[in-house]
Amino acid sequence: MKLNLLASVAGLALIAGAANAELRFAPGEGAFNWDSYEALKSVDLSGEQITVFGPWLGPDQELVDSVLEYFREATGADVRYTGSDSFEQQIVVDVEGGSAPNIAIYPQPGLAADMAGRGQLTPLPQETADWTRENYAAGQSWVDLGTYAGPGGEDEYYGFFYKVDVKSLVWYIPENFEDAGYEVPETMEDLKALTEQIVADGETPWCIGLGSGGATGWPATDWVEDMMLRTQDPATYDMWVTNDLPFNDEKVVAAIEEFGWFARNDDHVAGGAGAVASTDFRDSPKGLFSSPPQCYMHRQASFIPTFFPEGTVIGEDADFFYFPAYAEKDLGKPVLGAGTVFAITNDSPGAQELMKFLQSPIAHEVWMAQSGFLTPHKGVNTDLFGDPTLKKMNDILLNADTFRFDGSDLMPGGVGAGTFWTGMVDYAGGADAQTVADEIQNSWDALK
Amino acid sequence: MDNIAGTKSGLTWAVHLSVAFLVILWLFPTVGLFVSSFRTADQIATSGWWKSMFPAEQNLVIRAAAPDTQVQQGDLYVIEGDLFEGRSAGTVSVWGISSRAIADYKAGDTAELNKGGTITVNPDGTYRMENTEEFTGSRGQRVFITATTPPEFTTANYESMLLDPRNSEGMTKAFFSTLTVTIPSTVIPIVIAAFAAYALAWMEFPGRALLIAAVVGLLVVPLQLALIPLLKFHNVIGIGKGYVGVWLAHTGFGLPLAIYLLRNYMVGLPRDIIENAKVDGATDFQIFVKIILPLSFPALASFAIFQFLWTWNDLLVAMVFLVDSTGETTVMTKQIVELLGTRGGNWEILATAAFISMAVPIAVFFAMQRYLVRGLLAGSVK
Repeated sequence: MKLNLLASVAGLALIAGAANAELRFAPGEGAFNWDSYEALKSVDLSGEQITVFGPWLGPDQELVDSVLEYFREATGADVRYTGSDSFEQQIVVDVEGGSAPNIAIYPQPGLAADMAGRGQLTPLPQETADWTRENYAAGQSWVDLGTYAGPGGEDEYYGFFYKVDVKSLVWYIPENFEDAGYEVPETMEDLKALTEQIVADGETPWCIGLGSGGATGWPATDWVEDMMLRTQDPATYDMWVTNDLPFNDEKVVAAIEEFGWFARNDDHVAGGAGAVASTDFRDSPKGLFSSPPQCYMHRQASFIPTFFPEGTVIGEDADFFYFPAYAEKDLGKPVLGAGTVFAITNDSPGAQELMKFLQSPIAHEVWMAQSGFLTPHKGVNTDLFGDPTLKKMNDILLNADTFRFDGSDLMPGGVGAGTFWTGMVDYAGGADAQTVADEIQNSWDALK
Repeated sequence: MDNIAGTKSGLTWAVHLSVAFLVILWLFPTVGLFVSSFRTADQIATSGWWKSMFPAEQNLVIRAAAPDTQVQQGDLYVIEGDLFEGRSAGTVSVWGISSRAIADYKAGDTAELNKGGTITVNPDGTYRMENTEEFTGSRGQRVFITATTPPEFTTANYESMLLDPRNSEGMTKAFFSTLTVTIPSTVIPIVIAAFAAYALAWMEFPGRALLIAAVVGLLVVPLQLALIPLLKFHNVIGIGKGYVGVWLAHTGFGLPLAIYLLRNYMVGLPRDIIENAKVDGATDFQIFVKIILPLSFPALASFAIFQFLWTWNDLLVAMVFLVDSTGETTVMTKQIVELLGTRGGNWEILATAAFISMAVPIAVFFAMQRYLVRGLLAGSVK
């Protein structure tokens, strides 16, 4: 009986494997860089298994599989991608327990840095670092973000960035703006004036939700980071991220209070300030679409359309604008973003080849041409973007005077994925900004 | 006597009422989940499940048909259609064409459109847009209606989980895989625990009390402590991640409770029977097989239910000891988590998946539930 079961399981696995085996875009057709795909065919990895473990599930998993399929097809390697919603815990258990996948995809560089320090990652060759410097927009900063202290304390290049998100976006419904006669604000002063005008018209300007299960509070950290970039220069931001500027410095407290201007005023937020911390971030954009609208604007990263009502066409039913900067502060147009890091957790020739494949334009173009993918790769054909919104987001990325990575992802886990989150929930709930900042700084000191 | 009988019946009522109250309280979340599993994601996000069972007045934003569906009738360009197309029909009371004025017109009225032309919306949701010039744009006109709509349910969630080939293949595979994990993980600990419990209950040997204390002590050790060392151990001895590993892990984690439960039950069996058998020359093994096992059936069954439910619903142990990055092994719980999407937003799938994965444990429970209470009480009440 058991043998039967196992056999049927194996049979089903084969069927599932076979279902994947087709290329999304036929090689040679369209404006893809097919040369890089053809070049890949010289690599023969037949029969070699490469396991990839990451945080993407559902539709995202299908997308990453559609990219890996080209690698499978060209090299004959048996690439397996599996995803987990508790990636951060799972990867630690697997690596510590000695069953590490070949490649891990980290949603936060902080964890990759921790594991590099414990000697669990394999450094990437020097050529990869040089390549990134050359071929990524703002290449050096991507190399810096992927460079961590190894087990011996010396810095090495471990993490390769692939797939980037833009966070400085405000989502709105163009037709609602039209009905009310509002204009898309170009500066932070305009945005604040618009907020006040909407209140004066008897409506509610913002939907803000911080709820996210165990990670409740993270949307507020993005707000504060965006506000840091709009009130302080990039160097100060960098010092803040490394704690050379203490968390309870008045500059940081001022940025937290800037967030408070939006979120702590009952008139500014749908449901009142009390609802901010308890509303789930996945539910909060729905207020834009209700009748009558519960709110007019929602600040969230480029992934949020997943949670818009079914059938929403981005660019028509809903659209976004750049979360503007203060005109008077002369800090240019800062953009906050995030990205996923690929690193080798279990070295093999196949894993090295797969990392090289990620540098080829085709690996970026296949995902770009579908949905939800931005890239700093300069060698790709940007005409291939699956929809005009992605192109518009990529333009925001390219027009940025300053690009900074999500600060909470770079801070030590205990702060960036701990006290910063909970502190922001306290702040949204009415705690004093200085007190919250002091507590976060204390927790950071305790980690040192 | 009448007096006493009267008091009695009053108390009975109180008991019945509180039982009914507790049962309703207990069922409330499950009913909600069940109702939600028949609703779309948008419905779940916009209104509570308790509202979904009655006709409700709702504010809706619906787009009229896109300009490319217009037809020319004489001098006029006309777009006609039904706002309730694709959803259950309702009755429009008031409507509007601006998000700022959603109730400006009564059903049957005609409104001037901002971009030229007019629109008329009837109570039954049909509409007619007229314009002397061609309608332009790519999206249809938004109409804000206040309508009374009947309850609306869909089986789309179940269809997408069970019939959509993308999901159903994975679910079928996960279903058999979960059975492969669960059945041995239930049988192995019971077999071992039954032997151990007999020994601890009826065989005299030095250190027996200490052993029992140790087993009780193990009950309070959280299994999370053992995950990494145990996985390391499995890798060292060459089992790695796989079915054998997860069977061993479930066995280990289930044994303390199993031994404790069975030993307490067996200790309560009448001493006379066992001593009689010994006098008649039965060996310990014969006593165990012929007397103890048949008598302990309720306890064995109740533990089997526990262990089965716990291994069926388990995600943690399976993720650590079974699911490796080759993606060949999976379990139902893992499959459900995958369906939720990267950021866990597909609520409607969660509710549906809960009911689908519940089916087997519920069947097991009903098949064996008459043993459950008997087995649980065993050893505690004499």
